[in-house]
Amino acid sequence: MTQFVQALVLGVLIGGIYALMASGLTLIFGVLRIVNIAQGAFLILVATFTWWLWRTTGIDPILASAITAPLMFGVGYLLYRLVIRRISDRPASMSVLLTFGLALVIEGVLNVVAGNKFRSATPAYFEQSFRVGDILLPKAQVYGFLAAVVVLGGLYVVLTRTWAGRAIRATSQNPSAAALVGIGATATAALAFALGSASAGVGGAILSVLYPFFPASHYDWISRLLGIVVLGGMGSLPGALTGALVLGLAETLTATYGSLQWSTLVFYLVIMAVLLVRPQGLFGARLREDAA
Amino acid sequence: MSFFRRLGRQHLIALVVLLGLIVYPVINPWQPYPQAVLLAMFLLAIQASSWNIISGYAGYISLGHSMFLGLGSYTAAIIALHTGVNPLWVAPLGGVTAVVVAVLAGSVVLRTRGHAFVIITIALLLSAQIVATNWDSLTNGSDGITLDLPFWSSDFQNIPFYYAFLLLLVLTVLFSAWIARTKFGTGLIAIREDEGKAASIGVNTTIFKILAYAASSFFIGVAGGVYAYYQTFLNPVGAFAILGSVLIVLAALVGGRGTLYGPVIGAFIVSLVNEGATVYGGSSQSRVLIMGLILVLVVLFLPAGLLPTAETVWRRRHPVQVEFTDQAGALSHDTAVVRDRLPVKEPGPVLEVRGVSKRFGGLIAVDGADLTVERGSITALIGPNGSGKTTLFNLVTGALPVDAGTITFDGRRIERLRPWTRGHLGLGRTFQVTRLFKDMTVLQNVVAPQPDGKLRTMFADAVSGAEAARARDLLDVVGLGAFAQQKAGALSYGQQKLVELAQVLMLAPELVLLDEPAGGVNPSLLGRITDVIRELNRDGVTFLVVEHNIPLVLDLCDPVYVFARGKCIASGPPARIREDPLVLDAYLGDDWRADAHA
Repeated sequence: MTQFVQALVLGVLIGGIYALMASGLTLIFGVLRIVNIAQGAFLILVATFTWWLWRTTGIDPILASAITAPLMFGVGYLLYRLVIRRISDRPASMSVLLTFGLALVIEGVLNVVAGNKFRSATPAYFEQSFRVGDILLPKAQVYGFLAAVVVLGGLYVVLTRTWAGRAIRATSQNPSAAALVGIGATATAALAFALGSASAGVGGAILSVLYPFFPASHYDWISRLLGIVVLGGMGSLPGALTGALVLGLAETLTATYGSLQWSTLVFYLVIMAVLLVRPQGLFGARLREDAA
Repeated sequence: MSFFRRLGRQHLIALVVLLGLIVYPVINPWQPYPQAVLLAMFLLAIQASSWNIISGYAGYISLGHSMFLGLGSYTAAIIALHTGVNPLWVAPLGGVTAVVVAVLAGSVVLRTRGHAFVIITIALLLSAQIVATNWDSLTNGSDGITLDLPFWSSDFQNIPFYYAFLLLLVLTVLFSAWIARTKFGTGLIAIREDEGKAASIGVNTTIFKILAYAASSFFIGVAGGVYAYYQTFLNPVGAFAILGSVLIVLAALVGGRGTLYGPVIGAFIVSLVNEGATVYGGSSQSRVLIMGLILVLVVLFLPAGLLPTAETVWRRRHPVQVEFTDQAGALSHDTAVVRDRLPVKEPGPVLEVRGVSKRFGGLIAVDGADLTVERGSITALIGPNGSGKTTLFNLVTGALPVDAGTITFDGRRIERLRPWTRGHLGLGRTFQVTRLFKDMTVLQNVVAPQPDGKLRTMFADAVSGAEAARARDLLDVVGLGAFAQQKAGALSYGQQKLVELAQVLMLAPELVLLDEPAGGVNPSLLGRITDVIRELNRDGVTFLVVEHNIPLVLDLCDPVYVFARGKCIASGPPARIREDPLVLDAYLGDDWRADAHA
């Protein structure tokens, strides 16, 4: 029983962190209709940078997201303005190829600059846990989860309480109508891409403590994030949260009762099973425009 | 000589290159290195050419296609390991494994449109690696499998492998060329250009996509079996490396995806660059950077790829007069056989809509609508903008699912059937804004529809033969036979409407739904359109027309149904509709009536 509760709690903690990582992907897809394959590479880029920052200055990796998030906001903004925007009028498949290319470039740069080896930031609390009754809560997971909740909460406030946020939601629901009421499509898209990248700024910082990583880890991460987003329904933020929790739980439960090696596979099997029953994902809606 | 002229310039060049590659090991036999480089080029070309079927023709990008090479390798190697059979003889089974996996995964993720596919292709590649690493008893886990050395004398070096891969490459290209010629290939391009439209003209998009994915996997799987024997060793990390997929995507993109020879040309170039980067660029780490940069640059600055870009330049330098073919055919043309499938039926309702509803969130677009279309009639559906006419069309043709109510077509309940099945039953439609496949020729557009779900129809020749002849015939019916070889996007709007009508007629429809046939069409063409509708109606085709041009409706149609706020408020012969107060009210509102009576 304790083991089960332990697995549940760990699953929720990991699910919250997954939710943060996937939120950027789904935000970008919602507004730009682009599947950003480079989102995983963003995470690894930030994790590597955070690791370097922690090694050289001793700044706590998770707190370092206060630095990495604004940095990634800027990187995302420039990337959109200089590169992504050039293909905004091309078929969707081209954006997949472009962001795939960007992911490779980031991987290649990390390989050349930082070297192809496993890393992991190990601050003092790395192997400590909080104890609640019989249940152990690893401190790193708890801090990561808290950071994720704070950022997701902030994102929610930005999206619902600010003009910029309303512009993003309007554009994601109906781009042409949003343009008609004076919402600049390019500015909104740049903002969404920048926000999505900034969320990877936090996600990557958390990743650097929780998981060992190396430049090519981004394939593993992007397929996980994409799985979450497909499960929840592309472009739906509540969907991403639910998908992240479901998959976080599935993964931890498999790791607890099955074996660690197969837990990633269970992840993909859950996705396939959901797609079999509900092809548009849990929260995905079939829109009027789909039929036109 | 005339044979070569008919063959075309591209095929001629390909033939010469092929001959050169066949004789190369004979004239330069003692050079293992260039042979190995050429061999790698063939292997990549096999993969890129296969990838092109699902991702080039059908437009569904696969980022994990090298998985099939690994699956083929493992299949052959595992059989060899456990039975002692030479892996070369069981290499075709590698192709079978690839096809089985493609069909299974495809039937899960290819049922819908959109992005799930690209995501699953990456996930599949990673999953395959996990399975190969952890299923020790079958695959030897991360230690990998070591195979026997080739059974032939070392004097032959790798020359047998050279010819094996060259043969597989030729087969792959021929296979791809054959697909492009069939209606299956035309259907795949239709899916790439506009999937919803493809479904409306009878293309079973799910089956087409799954078959395309399977077709794109077979030869890679076979090549994988041969490749395992060539390498004599395989392990999970090498067999399911994502860099292999990167090279495939890059090759097809550089050469020109969607073309026959583009992926092969691209594969030769990318393979050489890859070899150069390995020899001069140091580690495989920098290769990732180089390939990534090339991919970004190609997407940004050469999105069509080398071959199509070169073709465009060539065309500009050597302009060809547009051939207005088939003039004679058009002039000698009698009444076309539009419907030859069903015998003449008793009069009675062909379409019955009963209590059909559809809501989008809080908006009720169609609200318990009833409608009957009698066989042989030209029935009109009019109503103010936003009254739900087009949504009703979408419900009848299956582009949208109904929330409630029944739709009966020809005595058969159809509201739960897929769009293409309704097309096969004889239900066709045109769109308010024409949705032709703009990059296809007019003729290809008209050949594309699938009047039934049979495999024989699917793999019928689309370039010549009965289907193409019938398409030319229908183009003559709408008076556009002369434009058969033009790109559909180059035609005027009204002409496009006529082509779309010819396209629907290819389904041999019993009932055609026309969504604003007169919208945006100039008056002279309008006459042609109404003539065609009347002519077809005499031949037994029933029409349901949504139209805002009321004089045209009152002249052409009988009976007329009037829609307002999602349901039918009046129906009857045009003369009565013209006088109906309810109709005037719906169109012009209370103010007008108040003013009129004041």
